[in-house]
Amino acid sequence: MASEAIARKVVEPALPAFGGGEPPDRPAALSQPLVSNARLALLMLIAAETMFFSGLIGAFIVFRVASQAWPPPFQPRLPVGVTAVNTVILLLSGVAAHLARRAARAGKSALLQRWLSITVALGTVFLAVQGYEWLRLIRYGLKLSSGVYGATFYTLIGCHGAHVLGGTLWLLVVLAQARKGRFTEHDYAGVQLCAMYWTFVVALWPILYGLVYLY
Amino acid sequence: MWIVGALIGLAPMVFHGAADACAVCLNGAGGARLTDAFNWSVLFLMAMPYTILFSVIGFFFYSYRRAAKKARGETEKGTPLRLAWIHKESGR
Repeated sequence: MASEAIARKVVEPALPAFGGGEPPDRPAALSQPLVSNARLALLMLIAAETMFFSGLIGAFIVFRVASQAWPPPFQPRLPVGVTAVNTVILLLSGVAAHLARRAARAGKSALLQRWLSITVALGTVFLAVQGYEWLRLIRYGLKLSSGVYGATFYTLIGCHGAHVLGGTLWLLVVLAQARKGRFTEHDYAGVQLCAMYWTFVVALWPILYGLVYLY
Repeated sequence: MWIVGALIGLAPMVFHGAADACAVCLNGAGGARLTDAFNWSVLFLMAMPYTILFSVIGFFFYSYRRAAKKARGETEKGTPLRLAWIHKESGR
């Protein structure tokens, strides 16, 4: 009986599947860096941009809170309604950029190109409407030199507009690369970085809109 | 000597009106409204670096959790651990 028990122990070890030895190695996914160098660099850029806009917003808060009447007398009112619609357009472009990133991750090239095109189109519409409204405001007499009201408005909104323009150009480059088949489901860092930057630009706008147009 | 030193030390507290010339001492310079404006601006600018820092930490934490979850999923899918069940179910 005893020899049978010993034989059973030998034949059936505690962990038959491994057959002894060390447990399996740590999965490869955890040994890789969590955030790539390119994403880290973009995060730093976004942090710096956030501080840049914070400085501008800080200056705006000083002028806005210290002012007795805002907008100052004899200055044109800002187009709140049209800009609200424009805000929705920019937010939709953010959704399109997110869907483009998902399409890139899934390796669907045609879908990626479609969502990138939609993002570029919405960004261009936003810029066009902003430009048209600026021309109207200048015609009504709101200029960079017409006091702190005009100066803060054009500096804050102008800086954001420049970022939207930069983001749109970047999106166009990524779209051209996507058309050439540059991205695959394993290599789509270009789309990912561009979408991250665009998300920052889009997320910043409602804050600026609420502060400059509504407050 | 120490009396002269103490007087010099106490002078800024006694003659604090002279401190109005300081760029950040706004009492009396532009009224409560301007002081409020600067205070809100300073508070906002003070909070931003911390907001950014915690956002970045949150992003790293989220990335780590997602990578760990993905790795766990891969482990469950294709490792010899499953063989243990097969062995058990084989009826030996």
